[in-house]
Amino acid sequence: MKRLLGGIWPKSLQGQLLLAVALALMLAQGISAVLLYRAQVERREAALVHAAAIRLFAANREGGLGGRHPPGAEEAARQLKVEQLNQSPLTSGDERQDRAEHELQEILAGQGFATNGVVVFHRPMGEDPHLARRMARRTAALGEHAPPPPNELMVAAVELPAGGDWMVVRMPVPRPERGLLLTLIGQTLLLYALLFGAIALILRQITKPLKALTGRLERFAETRDADGQLEPEGPDDVRRLIVAHNAMEARLAALLDEKDVMLGAIGHDLKTPLAALRVRIESVEDESERAKMARTIEDITRSLDDILSLARVGRPSDPLEPAELGALVAQVGEEFEDMGEPVTFEIATRIVLPLRATWLRRAIRNLVVNALRYGKAARIELSRDRDQAVIRIEDDGPGIPEDQIARMLEPFTRGEPSRNSETGGAGLGLTLARAIADQHGGSLQLGNRRDASGNVVGLTATLRLPII
Amino acid sequence: MLEQSAPVRLLLVDDEPALREPLAEYLSRQGFAVAQASSAAEARSLLKASLPELVLLDIMMPGEDGLSLCRHLADAHAIPTILLTAKGEAMDRIVGLEIGADDYVVKPFEPRELVARIRSVLRRAAKGGVAPGEDELFEFEGWHLDPLKRRLTDPEGAMVSISSAEFRLLMAFLEHPRKVLDRDRLLDMVQGREAHLFDRAIDNQISRLRRKVEVDSKNPTLIQTVWGGGYMLAADVRRVQANSA
Repeated sequence: MKRLLGGIWPKSLQGQLLLAVALALMLAQGISAVLLYRAQVERREAALVHAAAIRLFAANREGGLGGRHPPGAEEAARQLKVEQLNQSPLTSGDERQDRAEHELQEILAGQGFATNGVVVFHRPMGEDPHLARRMARRTAALGEHAPPPPNELMVAAVELPAGGDWMVVRMPVPRPERGLLLTLIGQTLLLYALLFGAIALILRQITKPLKALTGRLERFAETRDADGQLEPEGPDDVRRLIVAHNAMEARLAALLDEKDVMLGAIGHDLKTPLAALRVRIESVEDESERAKMARTIEDITRSLDDILSLARVGRPSDPLEPAELGALVAQVGEEFEDMGEPVTFEIATRIVLPLRATWLRRAIRNLVVNALRYGKAARIELSRDRDQAVIRIEDDGPGIPEDQIARMLEPFTRGEPSRNSETGGAGLGLTLARAIADQHGGSLQLGNRRDASGNVVGLTATLRLPII
Repeated sequence: MLEQSAPVRLLLVDDEPALREPLAEYLSRQGFAVAQASSAAEARSLLKASLPELVLLDIMMPGEDGLSLCRHLADAHAIPTILLTAKGEAMDRIVGLEIGADDYVVKPFEPRELVARIRSVLRRAAKGGVAPGEDELFEFEGWHLDPLKRRLTDPEGAMVSISSAEFRLLMAFLEHPRKVLDRDRLLDMVQGREAHLFDRAIDNQISRLRRKVEVDSKNPTLIQTVWGGGYMLAADVRRVQANSA
């Protein structure tokens, strides 16, 4: 049902409520219109029956019973358009109207008009032989000025108690009044429009604060800024929802601020002693010993940076700006070249997209460091795949067992079980790279590369970024 | 140039004695005369007694912080300043440089690198500084270089990452457009700051810079090789206001 109506089914609360109300209103109005129409029809029918009864009664009094006609009786009967038959006017195609018959009988009985039976039915004009004759006469007399004949007749007939004679009256059924129907439809529509409009207005009043709240939530998710909170408004439930939301928002913002302050403090408190250490080792005489110390300090610093960055990666305050990806990849590659690392890079194309350069550089750097650490050499490649920029970092190492690939992207996981200081790192490099890819709406995948005989010849990290 | 008779006077401001003391010691061994201050207030009172030639300034300090003192130094004394910072993010760098710092190092820094930067800043200060006007950008062939933020944008406005070495090289070309600069001259103009990067030939840096700014780095049109001479920026350079770019 929902799928069938997919196109018109409203998605919003206001829309759905309005649709429900509209359907209910339409149903109620429809029922009332039908009832009204039927009451009108019944009233018309009753009027016809009454009129027929009066004519029958009058004809009976004037003309008495068939066969003993006083002078002028024929004339009176003709005036009253009452036909005398010696058989029932009912033919096989006619449908008797029980209610009307019953009513007619009651009226006649009330006036002391004894009958053997009553027949009432409707019959289309053209099918009535008596009337057809009269119409033909009238058309002959009046020519084309004859008013259009009614479509339908009500034929009421009574069997007189003696002799089986029938008195028959034919009442033209007035054409159904078009005006009546139109008025009814017009009234219904007007009422419908008024009610619907009023309800739409009320609903809008109710759902407006909800809409505002939704907008506010979306903005907050993006900016994490507690400023610009909504004033509670609308019905009581919604008002309380807004108050509760504001409280939660304030708490979240406070927590996030606290986190940033704490991370800043940790960074500062750890980096200053590291800096002091870095200065002090300059007085170490043994040069190779000093180089080792410097490398350890660098490793600690990098891990610290990774931890701090991972905690901040989602912070939306860093703006996106359009940048040329080729130059960025080249810059990272060149940094490693300068350090004498076996890194090569190939930039197939110029791709400009909005990004956070500091972060993306860090992601690529981490992937290269990883490739160098486990795979001895790294190849960076930038290409374009339809609407994605693809940065591939390949190494020639042993790869990763297939069942561990997913786990490698989790924090604090490293390729080697031993926490060997030679390979170092907090195990956050890949996690951070993936978080940065996510932050840019992209993805990071790891996969083993195999040669023709199926042996793993290295690992490929694929960083994909959507080109907007 | 730095072989002066009197040692260069530095003022080191950092609230952490664990860093300040060994660093002062190290810099003294490198031939500087180092005064120490543990807070901005102490630094201010030292400045009243005598002005150093360069100030090394920690950003995060209790009381008045480094950025505020840095602004004071730039405004009141025009003393070159290098910021020592635990933060390494781009925003901090821009803020630091915009308020008048001449350079910054991120903790933990390599002491040799700090010394290289001190020398580089002093050399620039001695030349009268290259400090470009506020908000001034260089424009060439639709490209823009913001010297304060070290931000290069291509004619479509996309940011193009360049390293510090490439930035200095490009600045050298932009300050001397349509002039042939030979390798020694270029080396002299860009060396010092990241001396270790320039262990490699200047040609290598040129080819890297070309990779970023040339349409086809195999057939360079902007940075041309002059046979027997060196390199030349084959473009007109204009200085424009930042907001008009």
